Amino acid sequence: MASDRPVREAENRLERFNADRERLLAEVERRVVARRVGEARAGGDASLEYVLNDVAYCEIKRLESKNGAADRWRDLSRRLMTMSDDEKQQELRELVRHYGKDVVGNFDPRVYKFATGVGPSLLNLVFSPMTTVRQGWAALTNLDQRIAADGEVDIARACAERGTIVVTPTHSSNMDSPAIGFGLMRAGLPPTTYGAGKNLFTNPFISFFMRNLGAYRVDRRLKFELYKDVLKEYSTVLLEHGYHSLFFPGGTRSRSNLVEYHLKLGLLGTTVTAYKNLVREGKPNKRLYIVPATINYRLVLEAETLIDDYLAETGKNRYIITDDEFSRIGRIVEFFRKILAHEGSVIVRFGRPLDPFGNDITDDGESIDRAGRIVDPASYVRGADGEVTDDDQRDAEYTRALGRRLVQVYPKLTVFHSTQLLARVLYDELARRAGTRDIYRLLRIAECSVPVETALAGLERLRARLAAHPEWGSEHPHYAHQTAAEKLDDAVRGLSTYHTQPAVVRTGDVLDLADKKLIYYYQNRTAHIPPEVS
Amino acid sequence: MKRGDVVGVVGAGAFGTALASVLARAGKRVLLWSRDPEVVSSINTRRVCSRLPGAPLPPPLEATADPRRLAADARFLVMAVSSTDVRERARELGAVLDGSHIVVHAIGALAAPTNERVSEVMQLGLPTLKLGVLAGPALPQDLAEGEFSSMVVASVFDEVVAEARRLLNAPPVLRLYGSKDLAGVELASALSGAYTVALGLSDGLGMGAGPRAVLVTRAVAEATRLVVAAGGQAKTFAGLSGLGNLLVRATDKSADYQLGRRLADGVITADSARTEGARAALAGAGLAKQLKARMPVLMGVAAVLSGKAEVREVATLIGDSVATEE
Repeated sequence: MASDRPVREAENRLERFNADRERLLAEVERRVVARRVGEARAGGDASLEYVLNDVAYCEIKRLESKNGAADRWRDLSRRLMTMSDDEKQQELRELVRHYGKDVVGNFDPRVYKFATGVGPSLLNLVFSPMTTVRQGWAALTNLDQRIAADGEVDIARACAERGTIVVTPTHSSNMDSPAIGFGLMRAGLPPTTYGAGKNLFTNPFISFFMRNLGAYRVDRRLKFELYKDVLKEYSTVLLEHGYHSLFFPGGTRSRSNLVEYHLKLGLLGTTVTAYKNLVREGKPNKRLYIVPATINYRLVLEAETLIDDYLAETGKNRYIITDDEFSRIGRIVEFFRKILAHEGSVIVRFGRPLDPFGNDITDDGESIDRAGRIVDPASYVRGADGEVTDDDQRDAEYTRALGRRLVQVYPKLTVFHSTQLLARVLYDELARRAGTRDIYRLLRIAECSVPVETALAGLERLRARLAAHPEWGSEHPHYAHQTAAEKLDDAVRGLSTYHTQPAVVRTGDVLDLADKKLIYYYQNRTAHIPPEVS
Repeated sequence: MKRGDVVGVVGAGAFGTALASVLARAGKRVLLWSRDPEVVSSINTRRVCSRLPGAPLPPPLEATADPRRLAADARFLVMAVSSTDVRERARELGAVLDGSHIVVHAIGALAAPTNERVSEVMQLGLPTLKLGVLAGPALPQDLAEGEFSSMVVASVFDEVVAEARRLLNAPPVLRLYGSKDLAGVELASALSGAYTVALGLSDGLGMGAGPRAVLVTRAVAEATRLVVAAGGQAKTFAGLSGLGNLLVRATDKSADYQLGRRLADGVITADSARTEGARAALAGAGLAKQLKARMPVLMGVAAVLSGKAEVREVATLIGDSVATEE
């Protein structure tokens, strides 16, 4: 990538975040208030009275069960009828500031240094199962073998040097935040700021790191438009100021463990807005790059809760789960001890960056169209005479186009551990016998054992198919050399050790499928691979 | 005139010329692009286009063979080339367009050999994402003669629909409706050509008004199934791009209709590449198989066109394929 500076470990721009914070907040306040006041001239639903009432109504509804907590909002609701325009604007300004402060993050370089230096090794030492001093010393030095990162890291790093990157990983666990954080570090990429659900901040251990590593809080309970405005504007301003960011475009954890094929997109749309603002300011070469990534676990901390939720009709709509394994510190310790103790148990794979409109880029960071020709990304937000035009619907379509590209890219970036491969083989065998792949019917089947010989043959075939179809993803590179028997042993060890009930138990030459829901969960990671044609 | 008010028309075939003629007569500035220098010269000097000789081409209309000029002078373009050429034209124009351009196509077919919608093919060649389709019962000759016509423009981008309606509305000759159902309108437009061949076959066999009415209503039902299976809206085929197109084309003015009649008369033998409607029938049949949509009429037309079945044999088969429910 052409650059005045040699490509080296990308600059950590978050180091200047604390000094910038007040300025960023003031910018968010200025923009949101100006826009809302401007729109209010149209009256109706855009009037300040309506906007403020929407906030008051939602807050009263959220807080009415808590003694006295809703009084402030009831008072606002009562006063609205008699407030002057100036008073409404003042109230709006205060609310924007209030929610802005609630959202805004922090970055403590000391915590970052700890987390990326001493921290991992210390955590590793604490959480690794060790019986000897030698093992303990080994644990101190080999964290990067446990959380690995690979893929298109050179070009992603070059993009972080040249412009601002927006990392967009798949989302399957609440451990994704620390996992991607370490993954970025392993890849030599700078830390990013990111929006994390406020519920995650209830875990004191994770909260400490998240608060101090640039995470900002997203409170999904606040449904009113003004809050969404503040959140989007904050993200936009961060991007415009060059802060590398991270969004989970799937919105929430994949309950089924399927590689995401439908994205909520959410804050990803702020990428187009930020770039448009930069073009308008005369900075079209301040580029933004979207870096797709997958986070691939050997075992998933919350697998049992997530798949139960997915399979229960009532659970499908549960967006915020507060009572899963992540809320139990004991399970997190178990996760570190039993899962991260395994070499390469988490692998983050980075894809080739895209521009905000879903275009590929050259090695020099220039956007190219589908025919491979260089195209000026600024032209996407310009009108007939070169002027920058505002069109929210257009920008939303651009973001959907970007989402479609991400969905195309994710399967190829998927890395399969032994656990997913064996689960797929066992599920295929079960489905073959039953003549259906419908999980609800398979769950009712009583007989659930598969000969080891059958599973080994299935693994051989699946691995051969994978090797022939790189667009489906690939085996974990650390374990590609394993024989089928080693792969099977490795998978059984994983699937029988961490979860409260073993998913698979080996008895002699037979594998018992002890928890079909978990088998289904892990095989779902491979669901984009078509069934074998017999 | 501002660049934003210029309409670029790609292709000086019958429809492109007719549209350019209507717009020019309404006082709009039109830049008609043709690869053929003789066509360009004829339009600019003699005000005549050989593909539609009777169409008046008054001065606000200009022709050019220079794609760079087209891209520089017009932000809004109408792609009016054949489905067999669209891939190549998109690639050629893609070299000079950018992300700000708007391109709507007026191609009532699916793109061979992949059976993709035309907008999907254009997307591979053009840098802009702002694409749309223009379809409806507007025959070139009628437009040239100033008959009243209506068309629909569809795009997922509101801006494309709004700009098309602003620039292409030329009442009383041409009125434009808008739609967000890009996939539905593209498919409906393509399938209407295929069913026009079916109507030609039916009329050629001398079937009466009753069977003709059944054929039209079954066409609407099965085309709707395919449109929905492909992600379009159920109401679309019953609109201008589907039924509207079918009704206007089922006359001797349409090449698709004539093809059906001649096949039924035994004047010509099967030839799948003869018209856009014939190509759409074959592509639509492929898509129906892929999406598992039940389409006996379309499959029958495709079988005749590909020489796999006799016309009378297919007519019987279609008649025998009555489902339990309408």
